[in-house]
Amino acid sequence: MELIAEQFPIVIQSLNIGFIQTLKLFFVTLLGAVPLGLIISFGSMSRFRPLSFLTRIIVWIIRGTPLMIQLLIIYYFPGLVLNNPIWGGGESGRFLAASVAFVFNYACYFSEIYRGGIQGVPRGQEEAGLVLGMTKSQIFFKVTLLQMIKRIVPPMSNEVITLVKDTSLARIIALQEIIWAGQAFLKGSQGISGAIWPLFFTAVYYLIFNGILTVLLGRLEKKLDYFR
Amino acid sequence: MKRKILSVLLCAAFAVSMMSGCGSDTGADSGSNAGAQGGASSESDMAYVQDKGTLVVGITNFEPMDYKDESGEWVGFDADMARAFAESLGVEVEFVEIDWDNKVLELEGQSIDCVWNGMTLTDEVTSAMECTRAYLNNAQVVVVPSDVADQYQDTDSLSELNFAVEAGSAGEAEVSALGLNYTAVTAQADALMEVAGGTCDAAVIDSLMAAAMIGEGTSYEDLTYTVSLNSEEYGVGFRKGSDLAEELNQFFADSYADGSMQECAEKYGVQAALIEQ
Repeated sequence: MELIAEQFPIVIQSLNIGFIQTLKLFFVTLLGAVPLGLIISFGSMSRFRPLSFLTRIIVWIIRGTPLMIQLLIIYYFPGLVLNNPIWGGGESGRFLAASVAFVFNYACYFSEIYRGGIQGVPRGQEEAGLVLGMTKSQIFFKVTLLQMIKRIVPPMSNEVITLVKDTSLARIIALQEIIWAGQAFLKGSQGISGAIWPLFFTAVYYLIFNGILTVLLGRLEKKLDYFR
Repeated sequence: MKRKILSVLLCAAFAVSMMSGCGSDTGADSGSNAGAQGGASSESDMAYVQDKGTLVVGITNFEPMDYKDESGEWVGFDADMARAFAESLGVEVEFVEIDWDNKVLELEGQSIDCVWNGMTLTDEVTSAMECTRAYLNNAQVVVVPSDVADQYQDTDSLSELNFAVEAGSAGEAEVSALGLNYTAVTAQADALMEVAGGTCDAAVIDSLMAAAMIGEGTSYEDLTYTVSLNSEEYGVGFRKGSDLAEELNQFFADSYADGSMQECAEKYGVQAALIEQ
């Protein structure tokens, strides 16, 4: 116990650095995937067959393969096969590659949630809008969108919380997120070696952050309660 | 008609956004691209490294070979030698922490230029990489709880034990050659955790690492190491066919001759294991 007290400040500092990477990846993914998901959902609902077919194939591939494999392919493929290591070996290149993989992956999941939200709005509302002389985009932004947002909040909350934990997958391409930082003390780092507890302590970070997210998303859900 | 136009537009926007995504990536790194292609097409890996101006060294956090000091600098016997080698090539050194399982991927994918991290020269390593001559001796040792250590002082006594070893490590090769029961885990550190947690009876890890990771002042105060299973040697790995391996052999020979290599080894307490170059 005394030992842990002694190690605590050093470990926390290093875990904080790792957690910042985790948070960065989380927010970048969210910022990229939320709009990209909408574009993909339009693509998959398009009545222009080739487009909707192509989009559904992409969604199938991305959702049908493990994110871990996608990370490996996106990071190593350019250097291995194309002989052109576009990402470089440094920390920033690894982060960029991880961001691209996460944004694409999550955008595909989001797109299906959006599609469900949009198609869940009764068709009669669109017809009513057309009768009133509104254009398609007016109907989407003024009638459908807000109802869709309300519908998708619970499934999106689920995905967002999963995303927080999925960021740990990025360690496969040696992105030094919090689990990596915790594991470093097993082998030895900054004078502490063979310490097991930092790895398990990382769970506290995830738990607290997800607790905050759950409260915030719960409030958002309540706020959107005025649609019935 | 209107709908169709919208669809085509969306399709185009999608395509453009994908291409511009790739475009900006390649654009940002266009300088190093040219270098990489040069390295791949011409024979000289050394020219490629000198051209881009950095030697990217793939490491893991492994005291006393590569580890961070209080100021966050990478130090250790390997790190210091790598820094000196890069200087002799006239390039900057950059240390990148990698996942040890992916070291060949990292090398061939050109995200790193060498693996320089107390790497045991096994058949797998020498067949996948261009390796230097050995520069340091090491051994694989058996780690057991201290209270039962006196029962396991020779190889014959190990047959009843369940081992934990790092997948793909020299330790795994040893236990499987002896026909012992074992579970492969992802890291040497995880192997120790298995023993500490009682899920395995014993682990096999590097002696240099065992010295640093178990015993007093660690989370593994109740563990100790007993039998040495084999002796082995450390080397540095470069891309297959790289001329840098030969260059580093020469550098090792020079620094052994002028005593700077011994000095560096003494600084990190590994002088006894150093191999004459």
